[in-house]
Amino acid sequence: MVLFTIAIRNLVQARRRSALLSLAIGLVTMLLVLMMALSAGINDNLVRSATIMSAGHINVAGFYKPTNAMSLAVVTDVGELRNIVEENTPNLDYTIDRMRGWGKLISDTGTVQTGFSGVDLADESHFLEVIQLAKESDYKDGGRDEIIGDPSQLAGGNTIMLFVNQARRLGVGVGDTLTIQTETVGGYTNTADVTVVAVARDVGLLSGFATYVPKQVLRDLYQLSPDTSGAVWVYLKDIEDADATMKHLRGVFEAKGYRLMDHEAVPFFMKFETVQGEDWTGQKIDITTWKDEVVMLTFVITAFDTVTVFLVSILVLIIAVGIMNSMWNAVRERTREIGTMRAIGMTRTRVLAMFLVEAFVLGLFATTVGATLGAATAFGLNALHINVPNDAVKAILLSDTLRMSVHVQSLFIAVGFLTLCTGLSALWPALRASRLSPVVALGHTE
Amino acid sequence: MPAIVQLTNAVKEYPLGKLVVKAVRGVDLSIERGEFTAISGPSGSGKTTLLNLIGCVDVPTSGTVQIDGQSTSALSDRQLTDLRLHKIGFIFQSFNLINVLDVYQNVEFPLLLQGELSASDRKKRVEEMVEKVGLTTQIKQRPNELSGGQRQRVAIARALVTRPAIVLADEPTANLDSATGKAIIDLMKDLNHKEHITFIFSTHDANVTSRAGRVVRVVDGLLAQAAEHA
Ligand SMILES: Nc1ncnc2c1ncn2[C@@H]1O[C@H](COP(=O)(O)OP(=O)(O)OP(=O)(O)O)[C@@H](O)[C@H]1O
Ligand SMILES: [Mg+2]
Repeated sequence: MVLFTIAIRNLVQARRRSALLSLAIGLVTMLLVLMMALSAGINDNLVRSATIMSAGHINVAGFYKPTNAMSLAVVTDVGELRNIVEENTPNLDYTIDRMRGWGKLISDTGTVQTGFSGVDLADESHFLEVIQLAKESDYKDGGRDEIIGDPSQLAGGNTIMLFVNQARRLGVGVGDTLTIQTETVGGYTNTADVTVVAVARDVGLLSGFATYVPKQVLRDLYQLSPDTSGAVWVYLKDIEDADATMKHLRGVFEAKGYRLMDHEAVPFFMKFETVQGEDWTGQKIDITTWKDEVVMLTFVITAFDTVTVFLVSILVLIIAVGIMNSMWNAVRERTREIGTMRAIGMTRTRVLAMFLVEAFVLGLFATTVGATLGAATAFGLNALHINVPNDAVKAILLSDTLRMSVHVQSLFIAVGFLTLCTGLSALWPALRASRLSPVVALGHTE
Repeated sequence: MPAIVQLTNAVKEYPLGKLVVKAVRGVDLSIERGEFTAISGPSGSGKTTLLNLIGCVDVPTSGTVQIDGQSTSALSDRQLTDLRLHKIGFIFQSFNLINVLDVYQNVEFPLLLQGELSASDRKKRVEEMVEKVGLTTQIKQRPNELSGGQRQRVAIARALVTRPAIVLADEPTANLDSATGKAIIDLMKDLNHKEHITFIFSTHDANVTSRAGRVVRVVDGLLAQAAEHA
């Protein structure tokens, strides 16, 4: 207790030094908190866009091979698959199933390569909630500053919903007609004309490769039967359970006699070649998590985190030198005091503790203030809804707006980690202080 | 009962580059409980070294130092620290108070290191001690708000608060004017009488030596003579 008093008073005594160190430690903490918040924000964006456009939390999909050399990314008897999932998934929120296609989308003025998601609105209660429509002015020069179009028309007919980036590239808006061109397994080209019924706001990089059409459109294009679909998308109450639940479902399907593909953390469209080269026919089931389907985007987060770690390490090193140096000074200035305390009967361990307590108190104070300011800054930036102007940055952030996600846990990590660094930096000077011989320390003059 | 301090042919050498400085060159000295002993001698004669040996902040190069019958040479740093904490009080020439603590906390400090008394007993003991040195009104002040004489009183209170067997004072009056120095010696003498604490202090001030019960003269690392006063 008296060690705390001594520590705090000495820190106050050496005001300038403490303030300077606190500032440095606080700023690094703030930076770390902000970087973690940004990283978590990107992750949130990724989860959001991935689970809207590319995958459920878990996907029960697979390939059907009519002959050895042909492969289709479809599952037959999808109703039965969904039943099995719904009966055997703990923590299930809901399931949907999506058809998937890939091809060209052609307008009078342009062509884009894109994926097609076949939706059944009658079956999907959440779809219209998560899709955010764009104002006409977002994709059409001189367009109205209001949302037009109606995604509920995707319920049937030859309709399509695009994202802003595609509408721009194709030069189309709501009400215009486009042509879908796909290739069937046999190598034939099929086409369908569709009317744009809505344009959604972009959700990061993935929205360049996603469009929505009624399931029937894709069934017609690929000549598939009604109980065939692309994948069952399974949504859990907690996305964190995805890995465990995926493993569980694998066991369930295996036990029921389904043939399962080995788990591979790549999106389904990268598996065609492997599947085509394999020697089997009929249906195989493939179960993946949302992460597997967007694995090429997780590198953004990895890269960002690597930069964070690198940057923070360098700053921590610099600060550690500062702390060490300042502790050296403190030990030198207080050598005679240390000698006195040792003579009076203070043990080495306590001298060590005295200086470490001082460093920890400083560290805890500075990091707490820094983390609080960091969190406040993050919330402030979120509240400003800053639009990211640069496309490259948009791609990195996987979103059009800057989004920070502050987790309490990351605040504790930042405070804990940097306080520990502060304490460790003081360890060496503190050890030296504790090893001073009382005679020498008492004779010290300064 | 053994002497509280017993030095037998005690030698202390300091390496100084390639040379060896013999600060204490074979001292035999025995001090009884309750004595009020002055160690006098010229500068560099070895007074501080001798007090360091008695105070267990240092151990002899050869010979023995026994405190209350216990030889210090064989003790570990931790045991020496413990011995100092429980048996010895220190008073320094330049007071050596902890600057960031107030009078009360400075006096309380060794009791906290001991960790033996309850909070209320500690408070009683500290306040009692502060009163004995006449600083009750200054109890909340920090050392830099006190005069030299007052600071040395705080140091005396700190040295005595643990009720040690021996109190060592290395030139306790050297940084004080003669009137204040006299008052400090009077206070020490008074406490020596009332509490039967053994005081050993060094000085090269004749006025101070004259007030000692016993004077030990050190010259060049050796005891010159032991003059007994009444
Ligand atoms: N740590 C040390 N290293 C080397 N020599 C030392 C050390 N401490 C003391 N000495 C030497 O030992 C001798 C005795 O020193 P000491 O400090 O004990 O004398 P003193 O009587 O206390 O002197 P003063 O009256 O000046 O305080 C001196 O020659 C001194 O230079
Ligand atoms: Mg001396």
